[in-house]
Amino acid sequence: MRILVAEDLYLLRDGMVRLIEAYGHQVVATASTGPETLEALRTLRPDVSVIDVRMPPTQTDEGLRAALAARAETPGLPILILSQHVQQLYARELLADGSGGIGYLLKESVFDADQFVGALERVAAGGTAMDPAVIARLLNGTRRLGDLTEREHSVLALMAEGLSNQAISRRLFLSESAVSKYTTSLFGKLGIVDDNDTNRRVRAVLAYLNES
Amino acid sequence: MRQAGAWAARVGVGFVRSCVVAGVTLLIPAVWAVAVAWAIWWNAANPWSWVGPFVLVCAGTLGLSRPVCRAVRFLVARWTGTVIPAGYREPGPLVQLSTGYWWNGFSYERTRRDAAMDQKWRIRWNDPANWRDLRFVLVAPIVVCVPVAGVVMAVAVRGIGLLGLVVAVAAAPFAWRLLEPVAVRFLRPSSAMAMEGRVAELAAQRAGLTVAQAAEIRRIERDLHDGAQARLVALGISLATAEKLMETDPGQARALLRDARGGAAASLAELRDLVQGISPPILTERGLVDAVRLLALDLPLDVAVDAEVRLCLDAPVESALYFGVAELLTNAVRHAQASRARVSLAQDGTGIVVEVQDDGRGGAGDRDGGGLAGLRERLAVFDGTLEITSPPGGPTRARMAVPCASL
Repeated sequence: MRILVAEDLYLLRDGMVRLIEAYGHQVVATASTGPETLEALRTLRPDVSVIDVRMPPTQTDEGLRAALAARAETPGLPILILSQHVQQLYARELLADGSGGIGYLLKESVFDADQFVGALERVAAGGTAMDPAVIARLLNGTRRLGDLTEREHSVLALMAEGLSNQAISRRLFLSESAVSKYTTSLFGKLGIVDDNDTNRRVRAVLAYLNES
Repeated sequence: MRQAGAWAARVGVGFVRSCVVAGVTLLIPAVWAVAVAWAIWWNAANPWSWVGPFVLVCAGTLGLSRPVCRAVRFLVARWTGTVIPAGYREPGPLVQLSTGYWWNGFSYERTRRDAAMDQKWRIRWNDPANWRDLRFVLVAPIVVCVPVAGVVMAVAVRGIGLLGLVVAVAAAPFAWRLLEPVAVRFLRPSSAMAMEGRVAELAAQRAGLTVAQAAEIRRIERDLHDGAQARLVALGISLATAEKLMETDPGQARALLRDARGGAAASLAELRDLVQGISPPILTERGLVDAVRLLALDLPLDVAVDAEVRLCLDAPVESALYFGVAELLTNAVRHAQASRARVSLAQDGTGIVVEVQDDGRGGAGDRDGGGLAGLRERLAVFDGTLEITSPPGGPTRARMAVPCASL
């Protein structure tokens, strides 16, 4: 995969590049400011980009804004946002376009390198990789529990994190066919009629959030 | 008929009030008149006979000016509802030192009684309010001079005496009304006194703030010391041990490395919580409005946020208002058991106003050292105010306002 790494702290950027290269992927560019990131996203169209939220020049949400701007121009451009903290407001904004290929994780998720690179690959393939804490808060914040059963709700939460049906079945100690039954029923309840499975999964989370 | 009766009652009340005003304000001139009469009775031509009366005038004027002003303030408040702040200097606290002596802010005294007495006289003597009171007791008699002059004329000048009496009686029921504007103009604290009060208020605020800041810094230090720092030390030890074990016992080395990774993640989580309490990252990244929106999303409460798109605030004000909203919303959840709340933020030329309203059971009040008192202090630094209306049964409405000059 061709990967862009946007991070302003040299040590973290360097470490990330080495980790990604150790897994046999190619880092095509690095960026350390918001404008640089946007420029690289526009010109290089990386297979997936790892972007920090807070970057110079303003030290505010430069990275996030660059990501949102690039995705507004190129819907579905795969981006994984890494941050010291996860906020459900940002998660909502990132998910809002409903086009998949998005991730939002804490920086320490890099500690588990296998999982981190797995998340990168998933996002590059158009899936999602969301921090479990932020997903839990997103779904708890919504008060429409009545429509979905508890089981469907927990399936939806894991789906929002970006897990496949197989991974969900392992996490919930269910059979894969049972999970796919739950997903089908919750797609139905949320009125999702998309054919593309990845899209459908992101849309389901969005539909759920927007109903509240 | 009834109207005429009411009118007569009003005139009667007015007449009595005018008489009271005349009595109070003419008290000091009466002392002067007594002194002059005394000197004349002794021997007006001899300068020495004026010494006693002069002392009487000085003592009487100085001694009576404050009671007269107090009486006027009381009467104005009673009759018209206009409360005029007195602005007298308040005595500071008396402190007993380790030597057993008492310190009253001016001098050391052997006993508490002496210290209090000394303090009382020094404050009384140096109070800038004395000059204001003196000016008032000189001006006030003019207020009642119309009816009184009429009576004097009626007695002294035979020809127009009747006219004077008519003027006096006709003016009397209304003359007391002049007292209010004159008292408001001359009895309120002068700008120098207001300034002095403000300086005292600011000094107290600064002292409070310094204490609060020091406590906050100590809390942060303790959290870092017991949390992240300790974890990093443990991390270093694990890594050193793992390095040592790498060749001899790779299995245990791997387990140690896994622990180290867990420790690093835990210390990051701790640091994140700490940072959230000092200055929430979203406030830095997005500003007040989005920070409040996120707060609303994170609370188990239906919160509607009304805000102008762009607020232009200094970081300290932003932070104070953010923690204010957080405190109020937390109270709404925890104490008022509210299910809905509304936060509105608006900025105009005069300042910023943030209102938080919930549908809870109300009854919120300030306690010393409570959250609301702390919030009030935080806002006072920016000359901001917090008003709360919270009748029992609800709803609670809180309004934080910070004036423009502080933004």
